[in-house]
Amino acid sequence: MSTVEIIPSGALRHLRIIDLTRVWAGPLGTRTLADFGAEVIKVSDPRMPLSRVGKVNNKLNRNKLNIALRLDKSDGRDVFLDLVSIGDVVIENFRPRVMRNLDITYENLLEVNPNLLMCSMPGFGLTGPYSEYPAFGSTAEAMAGINSMIGYVPNRPLQTGLSYADPVSGLNLVHAILAFVRRRAVTGKGSFIDLALADSPLGTLGEFFVANSATGYEQHPNGNRHSEYAPHGAFRCFGNDQWIAISITNDFQWEQLKDEVNDIRLESPDYDDISGRKVNEEAINRIVEEWTSRKDAGDLMKQLQQKRVPAAKVSNNLDVLNDPHLNRREYFSHFRISEENIEKYDGQAIPGNQKERSKWFPMRDLGEDSNTILVEYLGYSDDKYLSLLEQEVIS
Amino acid sequence: MSSEYFADDLPLNGIKVVETAQGVSGPYAAKLLASLGAEVIKVELPEGDWSRKAPPFLSETNHTESSALYLYNNTGKKSVVLDWRNSEGLHNLENIIKSADVFIEDWDIAARKKWKLKPGFFIEKNPQLIELSITPFGLSGPYSSYKSTPLIQLALGGILNLIGNPEQEPLMLPGHQPDYLTGINGSNSVQIALWDRDLLGEPGKFLELTMLETLANLHQAPLDMDGGIRQRSGHRQSPLSSTGFPPGVCTVSAKDGYVTFGGGSPAIWEQLCLMLGRLDLFENEIFSNVFENPESGLIVDHIMENWMAEKTREEVFKEASSVWMLPVSPVKKVNEILEDKQYASRDAFLNIPHPVAGEAAYPSPTFIVNGQKLKVSRSPMLGEHTKDYLW
Repeated sequence: MSTVEIIPSGALRHLRIIDLTRVWAGPLGTRTLADFGAEVIKVSDPRMPLSRVGKVNNKLNRNKLNIALRLDKSDGRDVFLDLVSIGDVVIENFRPRVMRNLDITYENLLEVNPNLLMCSMPGFGLTGPYSEYPAFGSTAEAMAGINSMIGYVPNRPLQTGLSYADPVSGLNLVHAILAFVRRRAVTGKGSFIDLALADSPLGTLGEFFVANSATGYEQHPNGNRHSEYAPHGAFRCFGNDQWIAISITNDFQWEQLKDEVNDIRLESPDYDDISGRKVNEEAINRIVEEWTSRKDAGDLMKQLQQKRVPAAKVSNNLDVLNDPHLNRREYFSHFRISEENIEKYDGQAIPGNQKERSKWFPMRDLGEDSNTILVEYLGYSDDKYLSLLEQEVIS
Repeated sequence: MSSEYFADDLPLNGIKVVETAQGVSGPYAAKLLASLGAEVIKVELPEGDWSRKAPPFLSETNHTESSALYLYNNTGKKSVVLDWRNSEGLHNLENIIKSADVFIEDWDIAARKKWKLKPGFFIEKNPQLIELSITPFGLSGPYSSYKSTPLIQLALGGILNLIGNPEQEPLMLPGHQPDYLTGINGSNSVQIALWDRDLLGEPGKFLELTMLETLANLHQAPLDMDGGIRQRSGHRQSPLSSTGFPPGVCTVSAKDGYVTFGGGSPAIWEQLCLMLGRLDLFENEIFSNVFENPESGLIVDHIMENWMAEKTREEVFKEASSVWMLPVSPVKKVNEILEDKQYASRDAFLNIPHPVAGEAAYPSPTFIVNGQKLKVSRSPMLGEHTKDYLW
């Protein structure tokens, strides 16, 4: 595959992004920009190989070039400053101390690129009493209130298990970068964005804060039960760990569901309205689950949806990968990893002028583009490149 | 760092957005655009956005102007009432959209059929228009007429299956997470199309954003998991691959509530063992993969809970974070977050008054730019601005 495209494609093809992010939130955000054609240059540490185990890197670091560079060496820092001088955006998600120790601050970078857009996304942000503390998506979700509302019983919170603060922050990163890169294009002014992992989930829990601050309203962990509607939850189906989610939000859907279950015990007039069903939720759930437990989850979803009842098979990761709807809509992307091996990955959920699919590429190896970037982009001589290589500043 | 004020210099100043979408996903996308300086006109049917009727309410008596869900998702907008279901109303909507840059709607195929609204209808009249369609499943494909709620989305998106205890009912995320995530993608999609239009000279376009694709895109682990199924792990972090990781990455109890410990690497496991005064655990092979050896997880949970039994969440958080550099956080409740000093110092909440609902704390736009938060104003009352746009 050629590194430099002859005819770049995608709406963001004129943007060059210097990407210092690691783990999940940052790489998800920069990957999204790359999927729309931005040239994302991922700066890696030559001492830390990028793993191909488990395919996480192909998922999160596709469509990015890779330079391996020792930022902690003064020659490496100089290369980085040269790189920043030809970039539009710098994004990093180290703990604040790391950037200070590397002496890479927005003020420093403005000296080489006066209208730079930069975003730092440490766990707790750059300011405040917790700012030096480490955080992961899994701990940031606890801080922001997500965990306190998940669980089977009120006094035993659970975690999402999926580091929820990361995906929210990754999407927020894209939102913030797009806004201020537009402002930069229009006014010529750079900006500095401080985006904290722990701040992002607050935005997706807005109604709980508005309500609590005004009336003291609280939501405690209570399974999948809805504050108003019933039945509302996942019901066991035939087979090992097979479930169907059913979410009845009005009387019509209830009547339809009742017809399908066809059980005399559901005919009680007590269940005819929303409040009656809510009061008798446990009894209704037991009857519904008796019925679902004999059924195949996928078949039952089709049967109930045909009757306009909100119902869905609880898909596991492989079900999502094989989902007929997502596949029909050509959501997924495919990479030829070797002659005989084509792997299937996420597509891009955001619609619009994406980089041409035929030009998407999997993760580049550590330092695979170091030479191109130094010699072609920065105009370094071959001698200078070789000497940096020899001194192990780059790889 | 300069503390430059953006009042007349916001990224989307001069951009006009019209929204007929209701609930959370479309309105949240438009709310985000409003926070960036766009003028957002929320077109409501005479009965109002359905979220106006969603509890909890801030006022005991007025249940049109005090829904927390509506108040939060419609800050910075204007409300115009018109009934586009009749021909005069539709004509008025067309007129408003004629001068708009962006139109955000949530009509599924049934609604489009019923109201005879083909996807290109508005763009034909305004070729520079960016129309964002947000639906649960999209306008084509086997599920396109399926009924949906956040629970349904999370189930089909593969998220529900990852939350909760292994043998028990899989659990949902609180509130309207699929809608909010789709809303952020909505802002992203519109902003990319505006860049394409305003900087590269592309025409307007019709964009089809779906909630299911948004969720499918946000899995932490690659979907194929080397052919394995990613399991629910209860109070533990789920593994990203079949290699797993050591115990201690979990939500366990301290003296006054729960604490979540992050991790997954040998380095963090060693640091945790040092903090617990139990380096012997780190040196013991039995504790190398909690998913292969669930018993090891229970042993470590117990040791951690003993270590914290007389410590408050706050004491654990401070010690583990500052002395041992461990990623740890108290499990905070909504009311505790509103009083948290870190969030207060970053202006994470704005107190916004409202003539009917009164004052409440709203999460502010999530990032700080050039030293400040973007400002937002209260959400509109039903039809508050009708006379400004229809005459």
